[in-house]
Amino acid sequence: MRLQSASIALASALACGAAWAQGGPTDPQIAGIVVAANQIDVDAGKLARSRSKNKEVQGFAKQMITDHTAVNKQAAALVKKLKVKPEESDTSKSLKSGARDNLANLKKLKGAQFDHAYVDHEVAYHQAVLDAIDKTLIPNAKNAELKDLLTKVRPAIAAHLDHAKHIQSSLGKS
Amino acid sequence: MLHHAARALVFGLALALPAAATAAGKTHAVRIEGMKFEPERLEAAVGDTITWTNRDVVPHTVTGAAGRALESGTIAPGGKWTYRVRTKGEIAYVCRFHPMMKGVLVAK
Repeated sequence: MRLQSASIALASALACGAAWAQGGPTDPQIAGIVVAANQIDVDAGKLARSRSKNKEVQGFAKQMITDHTAVNKQAAALVKKLKVKPEESDTSKSLKSGARDNLANLKKLKGAQFDHAYVDHEVAYHQAVLDAIDKTLIPNAKNAELKDLLTKVRPAIAAHLDHAKHIQSSLGKS
Repeated sequence: MLHHAARALVFGLALALPAAATAAGKTHAVRIEGMKFEPERLEAAVGDTITWTNRDVVPHTVTGAAGRALESGTIAPGGKWTYRVRTKGEIAYVCRFHPMMKGVLVAK
């Protein structure tokens, strides 16, 4: 239950248009959201690598670390090139606090319970990020290169979501 | 020392010759974009070269099915990997990081 409410809070933090006073996030705020969103999944992946004994979960966690680290490297290179300083927003702040809650919750769990909780959260998280990319981040990005980066990130997030759902269903059977 | 160098040179030339003889092979390009290999199925002849270019924001690999000698190692975002077709046959390959990404190289 706790996990479910955390996921819902996360989804609303990312997708809720009402959070933006005027129209939507600015480019520096979008950059701040991108960096936070990637780092959060790297951190969760690192925890899963150290806790999980499940081969599929381990493989997924490794992929999350590799891919989200790669995206953030490119985001960092782009903001440097564009001379944009990533800015905090209510969204990036609530993403970070949601991530702290998620990690604190996961740290209490072991074995199959941990695997289920981690993978369930990854499904909800990637769905929320995908929705945010489509509904908030891409439509509001002003700079063409930032918009292009977000567009290129989308298929990776969609693939992660499919992968997480696949593991979720195979864990459900075990 | 010089003798060794000369021998190495001759040996190097001998190795380079067969490659030069097939250098007229065609070149092919495979884009890795949107978590897919494009084209997914590529036909090429022995002696042709194929270059995979990673246009995604995440790293990928070109990794042949078990027992096949196709292995690019990590291709970073924006990076590329070139392979010269050596033997006939069909090689199914995946991205080692994202095994749902599949491709086939048909060498004729």
